[in-house]
Amino acid sequence: MHKHSSYDVLKQVGIFAVIAFILYLVFSHADFGYKFHWAVLYEENPTYKEVFGLWLLRGLVLTIKISLISTGIALFLGTIFGIARLSLFKPTYYLATGYVEFFRNTPLLVQLFFWYFAFPMVLPEGMRMFLNDNNFEFWAATVGLGIYTGAFVAEIVRAGIQAIPHGHVEAALSSGLSGPQMLRFVILPQAFRVIIPPLGSEFLNNMKNSSLAMTIGVAELCWNSQQIESFTFRGFEATSAASLIYLGLSLSISVIMNSINHHLKIGQEQKLTTLDRILGALFLPVVLVFRGISLIITLGKRLFRLGEFAPVHVEAVYVSVWKRALLVIAKWLVFLGKGLFIVLFVTLLALITLALYSFEWSIIANNFRSLLVWTFPHGGAGEIFFGLGGLSMSIILAAIALFVSFFIGLVFGLGRLSKNPVISTPSVLYIEIIRGNPLIMVIFWVYFFSPIVTGMQIDVFWSAAIAFTLFSGAYIAEIVRAGVSAIPRGQVEAATASGLNYFRTMRHVVLPQALKIMIPAFVGQFIALFKDTSLAYIIGVFELTTVAQMLNNRLMIYPFEIYTTIAVLYFVCCYGMSMVAKRLEQKYTPSKRSVAASAVP
Amino acid sequence: MKKLVTGMVLVLFFVLCAGVSVCLAGKTYDRVERDGLVRIGLMYNSIPAAYFNENNEWVGFDVDIAEEVAKRIGGYMGKDLKVERVKVNNKTRISFLTSDRIDMSTANMTHKRERDRVIDFSITYFFDGQKILAKKGRFTKHEDFVGKKLASMQGTTSEKNAVNLLKALGDPNAEKNVISFQDEPSCFLALQQDKVAGWTTDSTILIGFSAKEPGKYELVGDFFSDEPYGIGLPEDDSKWRDSVNFAIQDMWADGTYMKIYNKWYGADTEYYFPMTEKIEMWP
Repeated sequence: MHKHSSYDVLKQVGIFAVIAFILYLVFSHADFGYKFHWAVLYEENPTYKEVFGLWLLRGLVLTIKISLISTGIALFLGTIFGIARLSLFKPTYYLATGYVEFFRNTPLLVQLFFWYFAFPMVLPEGMRMFLNDNNFEFWAATVGLGIYTGAFVAEIVRAGIQAIPHGHVEAALSSGLSGPQMLRFVILPQAFRVIIPPLGSEFLNNMKNSSLAMTIGVAELCWNSQQIESFTFRGFEATSAASLIYLGLSLSISVIMNSINHHLKIGQEQKLTTLDRILGALFLPVVLVFRGISLIITLGKRLFRLGEFAPVHVEAVYVSVWKRALLVIAKWLVFLGKGLFIVLFVTLLALITLALYSFEWSIIANNFRSLLVWTFPHGGAGEIFFGLGGLSMSIILAAIALFVSFFIGLVFGLGRLSKNPVISTPSVLYIEIIRGNPLIMVIFWVYFFSPIVTGMQIDVFWSAAIAFTLFSGAYIAEIVRAGVSAIPRGQVEAATASGLNYFRTMRHVVLPQALKIMIPAFVGQFIALFKDTSLAYIIGVFELTTVAQMLNNRLMIYPFEIYTTIAVLYFVCCYGMSMVAKRLEQKYTPSKRSVAASAVP
Repeated sequence: MKKLVTGMVLVLFFVLCAGVSVCLAGKTYDRVERDGLVRIGLMYNSIPAAYFNENNEWVGFDVDIAEEVAKRIGGYMGKDLKVERVKVNNKTRISFLTSDRIDMSTANMTHKRERDRVIDFSITYFFDGQKILAKKGRFTKHEDFVGKKLASMQGTTSEKNAVNLLKALGDPNAEKNVISFQDEPSCFLALQQDKVAGWTTDSTILIGFSAKEPGKYELVGDFFSDEPYGIGLPEDDSKWRDSVNFAIQDMWADGTYMKIYNKWYGADTEYYFPMTEKIEMWP
C-alpha cells in the first residue's frame, strides 16, 4: 500500500466529481425511453397510501439485526470449530472438518432452503409448532447464516493459530507455562491480531449475504426493495436506493474494521488518525467493562493470596497431593468426555445413515437427469442451449462469467494500481461499488438497468451472466491487484531500466509471474461463483436450484430428497475444485516451493 | 497529453452509452406479421395454469389458451405463426413486456389499475377470486385467521389483499402476519409444514396444489376479492390488443374456449372449478 498525500486525495475527489457530473448529464438528458421517477421513494403513493422509502428503512433495521446476531453465532461456532480442527483427538477433528468443508462448499441459498423447508420435518410436531409460532423465518435465516459464516470463520481461526511460529510454543513450554497459560498469554493474543483483518471482511460478507433471507420470506432490505418494485414497477429506482444503503453499510463496516486494525497494530498508538480516535471512543464502554472485569479478577487474586501466608515449602507436599488428585480427576474427566463425544459422534453418523436409508431413492433416480441437464437436447423453440438446465447450466454460467470477468478484472485491477487518477478512480469506484453490494443487488441491477439502456430485454440467462461477470470482475480485479503487488518492485524497475514500456513490462515480466501466483485464487473465485449461480433462481434462470424448486413443486412431498441431492451435487463440484485449488497452491506458492526444495538434500 | 486522451476516451464511452438508447421496438402487430413469430410469456411453476409435467413437458391452461390465441392471430394474418415460449415469473412477467422481450404475457395476471399504468391488458380471459387454503378441519371462516400467519407470493395482488383482509378483521399485526415467498411451491411447502396457518392466492392455484395430496386441505371461507385475469400486452399498441381480444372472443364463440377450460378445470379433472361467468363479447 502506498501512502496517499492529500493532493492525491483531492485529485481523486475531483475525478469522482467529474464522473458523477457526466453520469448526471447522461441520466438527465439522454432519452432512455424510460422516465425516472425517484419521487416514488419519498412521496406518498396515491394508490397504496404508503411512503415506500420508509419500507427500505424498516428493511435496513432488520438487515442490521440479522447481521449482528448471525455474526455472533458465526464467531462462537467459528472459534470452537476452528480450534477443534487442530485437535489431535480424531473424532473432534473429523466433526470439525466435516462441518467446515460441507458448509463452505454448498451455496448459502440451498442451505437456507434446507434449514427452512427440510430441517423442521425431522422435528417432533410440538417443537415444530413452537418454532412456527416464534418467527421461524427470521431465526432460520439468522442461524443458517451464522452456521454458514461460522465455517469460514473457523478456517480463519485455524489459520490464525497455525500462523504462530512453532518456536513461540516451544519457548512458552520450556519457560514452564501450562497449556491454558500458553494459549492465554502466547498464542491467542498473537492469533487474535492475525485473525482480525480477514474476520472483518468475513463479517462484511455476512452482512451482504443476509440479503438471501428474502428467499424465505424475511422482510429485510433487499426484500423491501423488491416489494416496492412489485407495487410500483419502479424496479430501477427501488434497487438503486437499496444498493446505496448497502454501500453505506459496507463502507461503515470497513471503516470500523480498518480503524480496529489500526488500534491493534503493536506500537502504532502515535499513528492513529483523528477518525480512529473518535471510533475508538465508541468502543470505550466495552474496553471499560473488560478493564473492570480484569481489575476485579486481580483484586480477587490478591485478596485470596493474602489469606495463604503459609511458608511455601510446607505447603509443597500438601499441594502436590492435591494436584495429583486433581490431575487424576482431570484425566478421567477428559477420558469420559472423549467417550461421550465418540458416542455422540457415532449417534450423529447413525442418524444421518438412517435418514439416508429412509430416503425415497427412486425419486432421486427418476429426476437425476433433470437435475443434471433438464430437458436437453429436447428443448422447445427459443429455449437457450436446446433446453439445457440444471447443474450443467450452473457450470456454464459460472464458466462464462469467470472467463469474461478475468479480462475485466485484469483491466480494472491494473487500473487501480495506476498512478494516473483518471484511470485509477473509475477502477476504484467500480471495484468498491460492486464489492459493497450483495450479489442479489447486482443481479437486480443488471436486470432492471439493461432494458433501460438497450431498450430491450435480454434472456434472463444472459442477464444473469452479465451480472455474475460484473460481480466477479470486481473480485478478480482485487486478486490481480494483490498478485501484481506481490511482484518485487525491483523487477519492474529493472524492466523499465532495460527500456521496456508499461505494456511490455506487464506482458513479459510482471503478469507471467503474477498470474501464476493468482491461479489458486482464481479457482477459489470460480468455486464462489459456482455457488453463487444458485442466486439466478430469483430471476428464473433454469439452473440447478431453480430446477430443484420446480421438481419439488411437482413432487410436493419429497423436499428432503431433492434438497439433499442438490446439496451433494454442489458439494461434490465445489469440493473437487477446492482440492484442485489446494494442489495448485502447493505447486505455485513460491515459499512452499522453496521449503520443499530445501527439504530435498 | 496522455491524460487528456484518456479523459476524452472516458467521455466518449459515456456518450456512446447514452447513444445506444435507440428505440428498437416496432409496432407489435406489424413485427409479428413480418417475422411470423410471436413470443409468449408463460409461468413455469403454476399448477395447472402453466407447469412442467412428469415428462418435463410444458403444459397447462394458460399454455393452451396462449397457443390458441397465437394460432388465431396467425389466421387473421393469413400465415402460420411460430410461437416462442418464454419463461416468466412474478418478477419478470411485467418487465418483459415493458422491455419488449415478449409480445404477450399469459401468466396468471390479474388486471389491476396500477399494472395498467405500465402495460395494457386484453379482455378478461379467466375469472378467478382469492381464497384461503388451510389444513382440513382447522378453520371455518376468515376470522379464524386473525393473529395467524398467511403465506402469499411476493409481487402479487393476493399479498396486498390478504393484508387488507386481516386488517379489516382487526389484526393489528396484519403486515407481519402475511409472509411473502418467491414462488408458489415455497408457499405450499410452508403450509404443508404448518409454518403458516393458511395460504392465500387465486383459488384455482390453490385447487391445483391441494390436488397433490387429496383430502388433506380445504378452502376456507368465501372469495374475498375478484381476480379477473387478462393477457398482459405492450402499452399503447391498439392494433395488437384488438387482435388478441378478437382471438379470445372468437374462441369463446365457437366453443374452443370451453373445450380448453374443461380439459383443465372440468368436473372430471382434479382441478375442478366451475365456470360461472362469460367472456365479454362485442357484437
